Amino acid sequence: MDEGRPRVVISRSARQRIDAEIAKYPVRRGALLPALHIVHEERSHVDPEIAVELAEIFEIHPVDVMEVVSFYNMFYSTPQARHHAYVCTNLSCSLQGARGLLRGLAAHLEVDEHGNTADGRIHLGHEECLGACAYAPMMRVDDTYHEDLDLESAKRILDGLS
Amino acid sequence: MPRITVDGNVYEVPEGRTILQALDDVGLLMNGVTIPHYCWHPKLSIDGSCRLCQVEVEGAPKLQIACNTPVEEGMAIRTDTERVRSAREGVMELLLVNHPLDCPICDQAGECKLQDYAYEFGALQSRSREPRRALKKNVDLGPTIVFDQERCILCRRCVRFCREIPKTGELAVVNRGDSSVIETFPGIPLDNDYSMNVADICPVGALTTRDFRFKIRVWFLDEVPGVCTGCSRGCNVHLGVANNRVYRYVPRRNDEVNDTWMCDVGRLTYRAIGAADRLRIPQVRNDRGVLEDVGYREAIAAAAARLSRLLESKGPGAIAGIASPHAMNEDLFTFRRFLDALGVEAMGAAVLQGEADAILITNERAANGAGARALGFGDPAQVVARIRDGAADAAVVFGHDVIHREFLGDPAALDRLDTIVLLDSHVSPVVRSAHVILPTRVPAEKLGTLTNCDGRVQRVEPAVEPVWEALAEGEVISRLGAALGLPGFDGDWDARRVSAAMASSVPAFAGCDVESVGPSGRPLRREGEPA
Amino acid sequence: MLTVPHVTSYLTEHFADDDFGTLPGYERRGGYAAARKALTEMSPAEVIALVKDAGLQGRGGAGFSAGLKWSFMPAGTDKPKYLVCNADESEPGSFKDRILLERGGHQLLEGILCAAHATGAEKTFVYVRGEYAQPARTLSRCIDEAYEKGYLGPDVMGTGFRHDVVLQRGAGAYICGEETGLLESLGGGKGQPRKKPPFPAQYGAFGMPTTVNNVETFSHVPHIVRNGADWFRSFGTEKSPGTTLFGVSGHVVRPGLFELPLGTPLAEIVLEHAGGVPSGRSIKGVIPGGMSMPILPADQLDVPMANEFLRERKTMLGTGGVMVMDDRTCMVRVACIVTWFFRDESCGQCTQCREGTGWLNKIVRRIERGAGSSEDIDILLDVAGKMEGQTICAFADAAAWPVQGLLRHFRDDFERHVREQKCPFTESFEL
Repeated sequence: MDEGRPRVVISRSARQRIDAEIAKYPVRRGALLPALHIVHEERSHVDPEIAVELAEIFEIHPVDVMEVVSFYNMFYSTPQARHHAYVCTNLSCSLQGARGLLRGLAAHLEVDEHGNTADGRIHLGHEECLGACAYAPMMRVDDTYHEDLDLESAKRILDGLS
Repeated sequence: MPRITVDGNVYEVPEGRTILQALDDVGLLMNGVTIPHYCWHPKLSIDGSCRLCQVEVEGAPKLQIACNTPVEEGMAIRTDTERVRSAREGVMELLLVNHPLDCPICDQAGECKLQDYAYEFGALQSRSREPRRALKKNVDLGPTIVFDQERCILCRRCVRFCREIPKTGELAVVNRGDSSVIETFPGIPLDNDYSMNVADICPVGALTTRDFRFKIRVWFLDEVPGVCTGCSRGCNVHLGVANNRVYRYVPRRNDEVNDTWMCDVGRLTYRAIGAADRLRIPQVRNDRGVLEDVGYREAIAAAAARLSRLLESKGPGAIAGIASPHAMNEDLFTFRRFLDALGVEAMGAAVLQGEADAILITNERAANGAGARALGFGDPAQVVARIRDGAADAAVVFGHDVIHREFLGDPAALDRLDTIVLLDSHVSPVVRSAHVILPTRVPAEKLGTLTNCDGRVQRVEPAVEPVWEALAEGEVISRLGAALGLPGFDGDWDARRVSAAMASSVPAFAGCDVESVGPSGRPLRREGEPA
Repeated sequence: MLTVPHVTSYLTEHFADDDFGTLPGYERRGGYAAARKALTEMSPAEVIALVKDAGLQGRGGAGFSAGLKWSFMPAGTDKPKYLVCNADESEPGSFKDRILLERGGHQLLEGILCAAHATGAEKTFVYVRGEYAQPARTLSRCIDEAYEKGYLGPDVMGTGFRHDVVLQRGAGAYICGEETGLLESLGGGKGQPRKKPPFPAQYGAFGMPTTVNNVETFSHVPHIVRNGADWFRSFGTEKSPGTTLFGVSGHVVRPGLFELPLGTPLAEIVLEHAGGVPSGRSIKGVIPGGMSMPILPADQLDVPMANEFLRERKTMLGTGGVMVMDDRTCMVRVACIVTWFFRDESCGQCTQCREGTGWLNKIVRRIERGAGSSEDIDILLDVAGKMEGQTICAFADAAAWPVQGLLRHFRDDFERHVREQKCPFTESFEL
């Protein structure tokens, strides 16, 4: 803390992008989800310092920020691995062997079915329906869908992540 | 004003309200019309999530939640049909799926809405065989509140309270679904001036106060109506009494004064009632200047003797009267008559000041500053000057606030006084200078009235009885007057009688005697208003 | 990989052409003519009347008349009015909106413009589920193109009409597909549905009058404006006109999207278009409209896929997500997936939903493990019944219906688990 002002942790470029989003909304807080996406690109998660800063920007309480972060699957409050790999295990995908795929990948990466690889490269987990039911089984790796998978093709995709 | 029918009875209710609000407005809710509810609270925003208040509304195919259904002319509501009962039973059963069986160790037992409604509206047996979710059971949400996450039924009253009343917003519901849990932000605990209200509004034992934790079972408590004396707001309270001891204050609803709230500081002023620093034994300073314990009669005789001597030698001009804003209207009225009868003109009262807030806390940190002023005890500056100058030789003093404040840095000035007769409830530095000390009662031990900052006269009644000899200030003065031979003072002091006399002789207090003000109090009569 | 529909009609007939997704390519095929017509030749009331006459039902699952919904927007108010395009598609079995975003971005924008004119809305918020990063990027490019061409902004097509489109991404919560849950999320909060009243047309996005429509609903509109109500009614049934995109998945030979008229028999969709189940297997059950909709047994595939017929079979069209299960399938395992989904996605406000979804899931999992009793089956039905019709939004109903459907038609699967104290369907999909 410097002269009572909290340390700024959100980068200037992120802050500019956040301000640009705020301008699109009739009420400031409408830009909170976009701001959280921006923060996650930079930082992978929202820690208390960032929550405090966001609370100031949006004129809400810090606990309100954490409330929102905790509600959504794609926002995190703890540090994340470099990549997220989520296998869909909802009905159509399970009918096509998604659960076996997930278990195979977990064994391949030597993690639990929801876990981080030891080198912090990949977090493996499962998600609910991602809208790719006809192309099952599938997984989401960060922003990209990989569909019509089998265990081998899925392994190759994960091995290709740095 | 729309007319609605509830279970066949027609009522006229205010417009623009929901069913629960309208029934609450006319005093019928849970008092003639039974609609159990958790998340709704008359002083908070509408939530609509507990689903317990569902009722049948004629014309609507589905059950409607009474908390969010606007009242309309001709609306017909049924609160006790098979469908409604089944819905309530369903809600109760589902709440008990995860709620822990903590009753034997839970403070809320006996005043728990989950117990009450499960008993009245729930099924006899639980059908769930699933393990309950395991969460944290003893969370320090902040300095005053203990939180048990497992007991929480997620009515969110506490979250709304913090956002809407003190507006500090420390609480939020994180996660979703049956992982939902209430939390604070790391480093920002629940810590505002009104934090303990969340324990009152929590329907279950999820939020309890550290102050009351494990002290006593509530079914042993008599809840005596009274008034907080921490400041001049006069928040209405219930004193929780057992074993001749006050265990807690909880706010009592008064829509004209404090709604359903009180501040934390005021809530804890109950501790002063039975505190170790109560004055318990009358004392008289002997010739060697040492305070001696005596009986009450002796103390009053000693005070009378000193005052008569002074009256004889120097007349009433040598006496000053300092009233206390902590005393009741009846005490002050008696004191005023006493001083008038003596011919004493130097009188006054002052109130210690603090910082007010925009919610309930007022500047004046005493319960009856307005009453003192209305009964003629104004600014004490002149009185204090007379004491300082030596113009006054004796002072009859209620309480220690003024004396302590004015002479804190200059106790020697007090020593110039030949006689200080001190009537007080608690030990103070003034005791050092007093010549006669007469222990008095606090409002929780008396029958009478107090006047709040808005001029509302409110009733207090004795909740506990001191086990030592202590009298109301008015009674002390009455006996002192009798000992001095003053006409009209026979030593026989009855609060009710005195209150009636006050109401009939002081225009502002017309209709405001202790028997007439009622449980919610009554405003002082303003000039020109009919009695 | 997301492929163009196997069967197309007016919505998707050009989806195979890559340049249909660009503004020039779209316009070459008649795109934006309908919006121009609406803005320059029709009054807002006329547009509403047209869409009402056409009988367009919302395609987001509720099936409410789109034209009627638009007419709820208040006239003569100086409050800003908004449209919201619900692109939060998260219903399991549903992936039609994804392709409409990927390949029909301008079609969507044109429909939005028509609706904006009809309702007097000055801004549309397109709320795309967070996981649809690619479709969001694609749509964003279309929005930029439209702004550049002056088809969005302060002076749309030179008519003086102002309209802006803001794209917001969700962040992974199914309940944000519920109209008022979406509005809460759009406002920067948790996606917790609101009590009604008030309704969105009175108090919507940011407290202003708002209409929320699904991606597909908007996408039909330019075609209706261009070709008229009678034309639209030439597709589908009398009560359910038009086409819709059925998404077929599960145990079928040719899964994918099929744009077909409403009222097409389910059997035709599953057996003919999607090729039926692989040889050697037979159908056990089909969910007709996304996982919230009760399942149908194999002997009820004759049902025409339109709400007026599906309701008679105690199910609904929903979002047309057809999920086919073959004869190896253990319906209790299906119930585990279904109940887990609803337990995970419940927002947690209402007692019945929060506790009920949890309890249903715990019981079903216990039955699947072989530790269930026949009382448990009765409790499932009873709890599901107590969740229906009593909550702030329809999520609790959506959570209750599939359980009721599974027990209605496949109770024997559950009873076998109880009797045999294990799962007897050894060849079923792995859980």
